[in-house]
Amino acid sequence: MAAALALSLVFAFVPRVHANTDDFGSVVKMIEQFYHVKHQGIPLLARAGMKTATTIARIKGGTAKRIAEAGSIKLAIFEDQEFNSTGRFGKFRSAVNAALDETWMPFVQTLSAKDEVQTYIFLRNAGEKFDVLVITIERREATVVQVTLSPKNLALLMQDPNGMGRAVTEDATTTDPE
Amino acid sequence: MKSLSKRKSRLPLVALLLIFAATLTAKAQGARIQLSNLDHLAARASETVDVNIDERLVQIAWRALSSNDVDEAKVKKIVSGLKGIYVKSFEFENPGEFTPADVELVRSQLRGPAWSRLVNVTSKKDGSVEVYMMLVGDQISGLAVLSVEDKELTVVNIIGPVDLEKLSKLEGQFGVPELGIESKPKTKN
Repeated sequence: MAAALALSLVFAFVPRVHANTDDFGSVVKMIEQFYHVKHQGIPLLARAGMKTATTIARIKGGTAKRIAEAGSIKLAIFEDQEFNSTGRFGKFRSAVNAALDETWMPFVQTLSAKDEVQTYIFLRNAGEKFDVLVITIERREATVVQVTLSPKNLALLMQDPNGMGRAVTEDATTTDPE
Repeated sequence: MKSLSKRKSRLPLVALLLIFAATLTAKAQGARIQLSNLDHLAARASETVDVNIDERLVQIAWRALSSNDVDEAKVKKIVSGLKGIYVKSFEFENPGEFTPADVELVRSQLRGPAWSRLVNVTSKKDGSVEVYMMLVGDQISGLAVLSVEDKELTVVNIIGPVDLEKLSKLEGQFGVPELGIESKPKTKN
């Protein structure tokens, strides 16, 4: 009896195994099905254009340096399509949460009903680094961005949770001026 | 054979230790209030913010921030020992879009014996701001702020050793909104 109890307690404390599923793809597919839209994947632009470093620089008040791990960026853009969210925010929120496995921690969810803008940020352990998934849905466009950040950069961005999604998305969708 | 029986005899001890660890964790989480019961307000709200920073994330911030950088060291000190920061905020277009019953969903959780409302607290904000503290022995194990305005409802729940000074330093960071909380000077009887 004691052995069974000990065993069950041990299993209760064992961290769950990281599910090796393409959650980024699942989220993009879910958005397509939910809103009946199609995404445009821009991997090259994403690789060349990630500038989250500028965000960190703004927070720190220093010079820009890149922070996103090279090749870690996944980006899907939905442009000039109809995202009718009226009365469906709750349903969409549930669908987003259902599309991701439990290794993702919901960090920030913001919703502006008037402007029909929804932002969802999830975090996940990626070894010693962290995956950050940002989903932004607006009236006529949406973006899904996944980046890998070092703990230091995550900690700096975490200080402004409301600005984090916007900053990561803006930087991921902007090409370097150099 | 002997080692097997030894191992068997240790199992109840392991079980006890695990139960003890689970109890400690549960105690630390005791200051966590249930905020998901306000989720229905999101359908009526014009703006909704939901921030969840659990112990793992607090630890990441604490470990990652440098003690040698002046700004980072300040933040590191603020989050030191915290076990979670949870914020739920709703803004509405018109007054009356949330009811006293909605507020009661939060307030009722703060009537437990472990929670005390701080009476010497005011806010620069309009409306009412109630600050509650959970004490376990003489240790603060959490804090909750309930801010109610005509068109705004905000709940902040911080788990861990946090006093008003730390709360004021957290305002504007980690999703904690500007609450304008001030301690009233204590009056002599």
